[in-house]
This record gives sequence, C-alpha cells and structure tokens, in this order.
Amino acid sequence: MLASVRWLNTLLASGSPGSSGPAGAVTPDEAEHVLTFAGFPIESREDLPGGDVRLDVEVTSNRGDCLSHLGLAREIAAATGRQLIVPTPDPEPDGEPVGSFASLQNTTPDVCPRFTARVIRGVKVGPSPKWLVEALEAVGQRSINNVVDVSNYVLLELGNPSHTFDLNTLAGRTAVIRWAKKGERFEALDGRTHTLREDELVVADAERAVSLAGVIGGESSSVTERTTDVLLEVATWDPATIRRAARRLNIRTDAGHRFERIVDARTIDAAADRLAALILELAGGSLAEGVLDAGAPAVALRIVEMRAQRCRDLLGVDTPTTEMARLLTALDVDAHLDEPSDTLRCEIPPHRPDLTREVDLIEEVARTHGYDRIPMHETVQVRVAPPQADERAMREIADTLTGCGFFETVTFSFITPEEAALFLPAGMRVLRVDEERRKGEPALRPSVLPSLLRCRRINQDAGLRAEGGVRLFEFGGGYAEDDEGQTVESRNLALLIDAPDEQQGLRAMRGVLDAIGARVGGMAPVYEAHEGSRPADRPDATIGVSMGGVTIGAVRLFSNDILKRYGIEGVVVGAEVDLPALISVYPPRPVVRALAAFPAIERDLSVIVDEATTWASIEGVVKATGPALLEHASFVGVYRGKQVGAGKKSVTLRLRFRDPARTLRHEEVDPQVAAVVAAMQRDVDAALRA
Amino acid sequence: MLEELNAIEREGIEALQQAGDTEALEAWRIVYFGSKGRLKQAMSLFRDVPREEKPAVGARLNAVQANLLLAFEQRREAIGAGGGGAARTAGPVLDLTEPGITPALGRRHIISRVREELCEVFARMGFESVSGPELEDDEHNFVKLNIPEDHPARDPIDNFYVDDPATTKRPRMLRSQTSTVQIRMMETREPPLKIVAPGRVYRPDTVDATHSFMFHQIEGLYVDRRVTMADLKTTLFQFARAYFGEGAEVRLRPSFFPFTEPSAEFDMKIALRPGDPPKWIELGGCGMVDPAVFESVGIDPEEWTGFAFGFGVERLAMGKYGIPDIRMLFENDLRFLNQI
Repeated sequence: MLASVRWLNTLLASGSPGSSGPAGAVTPDEAEHVLTFAGFPIESREDLPGGDVRLDVEVTSNRGDCLSHLGLAREIAAATGRQLIVPTPDPEPDGEPVGSFASLQNTTPDVCPRFTARVIRGVKVGPSPKWLVEALEAVGQRSINNVVDVSNYVLLELGNPSHTFDLNTLAGRTAVIRWAKKGERFEALDGRTHTLREDELVVADAERAVSLAGVIGGESSSVTERTTDVLLEVATWDPATIRRAARRLNIRTDAGHRFERIVDARTIDAAADRLAALILELAGGSLAEGVLDAGAPAVALRIVEMRAQRCRDLLGVDTPTTEMARLLTALDVDAHLDEPSDTLRCEIPPHRPDLTREVDLIEEVARTHGYDRIPMHETVQVRVAPPQADERAMREIADTLTGCGFFETVTFSFITPEEAALFLPAGMRVLRVDEERRKGEPALRPSVLPSLLRCRRINQDAGLRAEGGVRLFEFGGGYAEDDEGQTVESRNLALLIDAPDEQQGLRAMRGVLDAIGARVGGMAPVYEAHEGSRPADRPDATIGVSMGGVTIGAVRLFSNDILKRYGIEGVVVGAEVDLPALISVYPPRPVVRALAAFPAIERDLSVIVDEATTWASIEGVVKATGPALLEHASFVGVYRGKQVGAGKKSVTLRLRFRDPARTLRHEEVDPQVAAVVAAMQRDVDAALRA
Repeated sequence: MLEELNAIEREGIEALQQAGDTEALEAWRIVYFGSKGRLKQAMSLFRDVPREEKPAVGARLNAVQANLLLAFEQRREAIGAGGGGAARTAGPVLDLTEPGITPALGRRHIISRVREELCEVFARMGFESVSGPELEDDEHNFVKLNIPEDHPARDPIDNFYVDDPATTKRPRMLRSQTSTVQIRMMETREPPLKIVAPGRVYRPDTVDATHSFMFHQIEGLYVDRRVTMADLKTTLFQFARAYFGEGAEVRLRPSFFPFTEPSAEFDMKIALRPGDPPKWIELGGCGMVDPAVFESVGIDPEEWTGFAFGFGVERLAMGKYGIPDIRMLFENDLRFLNQI
C-alpha cells in the first residue's frame, strides 16, 4: 500500500495545546517508525517533488482496513495520542427518488452481502482540481477525470472500492448482480476482453455484463467526458469469489486486492456519502434521494470478551486492566470493564472483521502496548532432557565419513522422471509435482544416488580430482509410492566413491560401511554377496547390507548405461542405507575383555585357486575346519600373474593362532596349518603356493 | 656362556661403529639379529645352560640384546641424520622444509554445520531436535495450522503439490514450511513439548542469488502450562546472545501468521561476521500458538499455552560465511565445500 504522509496528516489532528499528545504534523520519520512497530513495515520510502513523502507500507493479509490512509492514520493516532479525523460528509439530495432513475437486483446475496447504488444527474466530467491530482500522484496514480478520480480517492482514503457507471449506457437503466453465463464475453476497462465462467460474478445491465464484480469495470459503461448521469456502486463481495476470478483472469486491481481482504458491509454508507459529496463538490450535478440497497440487513456490532488476567498470563506482563481498555479504545474498540470478573466486554468496530476472539484482542493490547515492553529474562528454566541418540549417531556417522575423506552434499530432491525410473525400487511408483512448477525435473527422487552422480559429474567437469578420488555423502530423503498409493518417504544415507576398479571400490565401500557399523553399533554389517562373477556387460547390481539381522540398504554397482547417462569417467561405487534403521543400533554396547597375555603366532598362506572361487568360500573352509587354536583368519590380498596361471588367482590369507593360557610353540601350530591347507585343497581345489 | 655374551656385545658395538651407511647397517642387523644371527644362536644354546645359572644368563642375554638394539637405533639415527656422521654417504638428507602431507579429510556441508550449531544452542535451553516428513499433505501444511481453504498461501502456483488440490481430498505436497512438524509432534505427543525441527522446505520461487525452490528452515515450539510471550522473547534473546555473542539484541515487530497470535517478526542486532558492526537483521517469524491450532490437534488452549518461531538457515549461513549466492550451496562443487 502506497501512502502519502501529507494525506495521512489530513486525517490526523495535532495534539491540542496543554494535552499530552504530540504537537504538529506527523513527520515521515515518525510515520515510518510508528507504522513499523505497529506491524506495518515500510518497504521503501521516496521523497516527492512537492515536499511530500511516499511510503510503501506492507500490510498483512488480516488487516484489509489498513489498505487505506484512514486505517494507517488510525494506527498512528493510537500509537501517538493524536486525534483521528474521520470525514463526515453530508451530501444534499435533490428530492427526486433514486428509484425513478435506476433499478437494482441482487440475485446472489450469499456472495454479494451488500450492494448500494446512488445516482447523480447532470455531472460535468472534467479535470480534477490540483489537490486531488497531487494526492493521487503522490501514491503513484494517474488522474483520469474528476468523477473517476474521486472514486479512486475514496478507495485510498477509506479503503472502500467503488465504481461509477455512466447511467445512460446501462441498458434498461438497471444493475443486476448475477453469475456470469458460461462463455460470456466481457470487455474490461484495461482493454482486454475476457471470456467468463459460471463461477465468476458480474454486475450486468439488462443485456450484458458491465463489470466483473469487485475486480474491474467494463469499457462500455465507463465514465467519459460525455457522461452526464452516473450510478455510484459501493458494495462488498465474498473474498474467495473475487480472488478466484482475479487470479484466473490475472487481473490485479486495487479494488480486488481490498475485497479479497474483506470490506465490511457496515462501512459502505460512510464511503458512499463521501463519494457522493466529493462528486457533487467537484463535478456538480444533483443527487437523487435515497439509495438502492440490496443485500442482507446490517448485523449488530460484534461483542468479544477478553479476560484481563488471561491477557496478562499470555503476554507475561502486568499491565493493568484499565490500561488495556485505554489501548483498545484508541483503536475504536469500545471496551467496557466488568469489574467483578475483570473482563473487558469489547464492541468491535465494522472495519475490524479480523477481531473475533479473545486472543485477537490480546494481540491488539500487546501490539499497541508495544512488543518492546514485553520483558526479557536473564535466565531460562530448563527441564533437562536426556542426550539425543539419533542426533549423536548422525554426528558419529558424519565424523567417521569426513575422517574417511567424504564430503557432505546437499542436493535438490527433484530429478527428471527418466532418472527416477532408473532408481525406483521394485513395486514402487515415481511421485512428481506439477511440471509447470519444476520444469524438466518434476520427479521426486526415489533415491539420493542419482543426485550424488550429478554432483560427481559437476566436480568432474570442474576438473577436480581429489586425492584417492572424489568421495561424497548425503543425508537425504527418497520419495515414492507403493502400488496402493501409499507414500513412502525414506531418510537415507547415500555414499558415492571413486575407485580404480569395481573390486577395489567394493572393498573400499564395504570398509567404510564396516567402520560406520563399528562406530554406530559396535558391529559389522553383513553383506548378502552372491556367488558369481560380474557379467561383461556390467548390469546394475546391488549387494544387500544388513545389521543385526535387519536389511538396512545396499551397495550399488552401476551399469554402463547409468555411468554413461551421467557422463561419469572412471569407476564409481555407491551405497544407500536407511538412516533410521542404521541409527537404531546406536549406541554400541561394548563388552571389554582382558587383553591377551600371551603372544600369537601368525602364518601367511598363499593358495592358488580358480578365478571363480570367492574369498567367502575360502574363509568358510577355514572356519569349518575350525583349528582349535585359530583366533582369526584374515584376507591379505589377491595376486594374478604369469606364475599363477590363466584363470587362476593367488589368495593370501593370514591365520592367527593363540593359546590364552600360555605361549604357543611353532611346532604346535604346524599341524593346524596343515589341516587348513588340506581342507582348502579338498574343498576349493586350492594349491599351496611355494 | 656369559663370556660368549660379553663378546657378542663388545664385537657388535665395535662393528656398529664401522657401519657407515644404511647398507652396512642392514648387513650388521642380519649378522646380529637375523634369524640365523648371533643372538638367535646364543638363544639356542641357552637351553643347555645348567638350571642354576639360567636366571643370570637369561638376564644377561636380555641385556645384551637390548643394548645392541639401542646401539643399533642410535647408529641408524646418526647415519640417517646425515652429514654429522663419521663417513659421509650418499644417503638421503632430512629436509625440514618439505611440506606436510595432509590426510584426505572430507567436510560436512555448511548447511549441516549451521543446523547443528543452532540445534546445539537450543538443546542447551532444553529443546529436543526432531524431524518430520518433507512429503506432507495439506492437512498438516495448512488446515491444522489454521490456514483456511481460500487462503492465498494455498495457491497451487506457490506450492509443490503432488496431488491436484482441486480434485484430491487431502492432497499430498512438499511441505512449504517446517511448521508441519509442530502439528506432527502435537498430534503424537502429550505436552509439555519443547522441540526444534530443522529441515528442507519447498516453494516454487524463481531462482536467483537469494532464492531457491528448496531451502532449509528451523522451527521451534514450546508448549507447557503458563508459557508466555515474555518466555518467547527471552528464548530468542538467549539464543541470540549465545549464538551471536554478548552484545546481541532482539526485537519483535507485530505481524500476522495464521498459526500464531499474537504474531511477530523478530529481528536481531548482530554482527553476522566477526568484526562487522552489528546491525538489525530480519530473521524470522514467531508468536504464541494460536488457540485454533491447539484445538486442531486436541490440546486444550485453556490449560496449555505455547510459542513457536521459525527462521531460514541459508540466510544465516550465507551471512555468516559471506556466501554471495544461494545456488553455490546446492552445486556441491568441492572447491566451494572445502572453503567453508
């Protein structure tokens, strides 16, 4: 809302001599400060050539009354102790009944609570006087003619939109409020022709729509230099109906803006009087007697009660009840104290449709008393809560990962539908938002991995080659729905690493997950690694990861297609686990054992096996053999080469033997090693390497 | 046996002095400590030592072994240090000026770090960090927050609906605010409640240096008996002072939100970057929980009162770390991530 400080001052009296109110006109600085701390921040301020100052005042959607100079002046008056001057026009009618010049029919009183029309005959349309032109220009409006300008002036002064029709252009000299006919055409004042729908409201004459109700007037009935008789519409409309039409047709007008925020039917008469009086003053003519008035009868002023103690309790202040009454009265809320109950019985003025409940009044007390006068304390009372396991677990995971060289990313939850399809779990459907809102990428990602692949690509394009490859992780959501339309939103931990080859990438990823498992739950994840080699065409492959018997996610080897789609050079391996499942094992509950008192004997064995023989099968044989003193069997490495032979590999493992009660001798270990070697020969066709 | 050990020790130390480079040193090590070295041999003889002599010989054996090892280490250091030794050799010279080897550490994203900093300060005031779904429905994003059917905030143009709101009952949508978590918590838990909910929110904004269609908010909610607006102001003030430093100031300006009443915008007078002069910054919105919200989740507003507040995380992070463009936060270029 653009406001002129000079205009505001026309509605404010300076404090009378001897009173405590401030003397003199409101200065721009004062207006800016007062309005800001009354809840109307100033977005911008501009000095105008004539010495006036224009303020762009932000008005919240509940305060339609302040989309007017009177409303803002009322706030300034309440805050500064100045007197508000409400215009009290008294236009003189000529005695001819209005009904003999025009008629009115309201067919939709449910969405047009009140419509009034007056008629002035014999106006002389012409230029506006200087003060009016300047007032409108001060708030960025262009003068059109005296009649139209007055209508705009009243809107900006009182907040009541009005419309002036050239009465002689109205077929049948009638105004009918009705729903538009399907496909009805309407030529608006802005020069555009609109095709209306049946849920849009119009004011029509006997033949056609002459105004899109509450939004914009029509070209055919507009006031021009040739106009002599005018019909003055001052009305109010259902906010939702107005908003719907204005939005659909994309017409933003001052009138629509105000009607969307409720214009109370009981404020209409004062605005209509002001409108008529100013037209008579500036354009002459004679006012017909009476008003064409269609709509519901005026309702009595609303009464809302406020318990003073409730107000003090909610705000944490000790403001006396009498002071509350004074603050409310300054806002034209008539507050009567019921002393026994310490309750203020408040009569709500018509321009404040937002005040319907006790708490609304409490807010008014707080606001006008000043938020700065609500106390702040030096200390807070705290109910001490236990540490939060999930927060701590996430921090441990993140710390582990950053220690392992991972960078955390934050990526968008939107991707293309094609990408979403590639990462969609079986039996699920992709969710998407309106394509118009998120062009090209309307799909919600079912997995965080595509986002990490994009990030990997961005860094590749930037020429970044981190030492040991780029490592990324993200805590992020995955979104999809199941066959029954049930939404599934997962909270995931996604990981992506570079690797020299898939074998090493897989081992590196497992190592990272092992480290996380140990840190978070004191346990190693179990990998559902299936036997068999990776086909040459490298399809997508996943390796299930579980902890404590529950599947928590998977390591993912990407297909060539996916790598190509993202333009990834080199090998990357991903993993994604369900975060709540992972952190459910937190914290670790370690049981400390005494440290071994006697030394161990370690033996490295290298065995040559078929390429297809897995480590798991070799390890299985060792465990099955179960040498009595074997403490641990670990993987050391794999060697391939000429000495080993084609189709073969040499696997080195390390066996650790220990007797908890004494120092072992080598001779004791030898037969146990021999048993393991023999079992490996028998079960996985392993040959001991010389 | 003892003489034998003395000889090993004496000869070993003498031989060590002759060793002038790492190769000679290695040769010496094999002679004395190798698997067939002199000490191993001595040990194999130990078995034949008469029982009564064993303690003395054993002790001596250990001493000789330790002395030779010590002498060996010292000699190796002397040779390794280069220059100062008797025989100048072609071995490597320690360069004290070579740069360090930085371990390949990663880094947390700045948004996460700021989020954690914020949660930590609020945790000290007893606020528990909680989260809620991002894929919400209009029930939690609007209806129960007292945002009625025809409210402009519900316009499909300004929201990411998954279902068409015109044809679907309880249409799903990406949450446009973290206030949804207030509702989720009040629905599932009994008061008193003291929570903060950080998270992603989504609004179809045109993307520029300060706007993104996805960003992060943190929401606070405190519901208890006799919670007052003074408590709200105090909490924000305590937060400001703890997070931004002693001189921080807080002020509230009246505003309007459907889910709080009284409602306020809160500003903080802070120096976002150390050394900057403090200035007023509009941070977020707050207010007392609207009775209509309490009623929508079955909490009696006569028995319980509460306050809520919310603000954006990006704005704070950008101000604090001098990040000029919000888009940098979501590109995840390692060169950027590594800077902050």
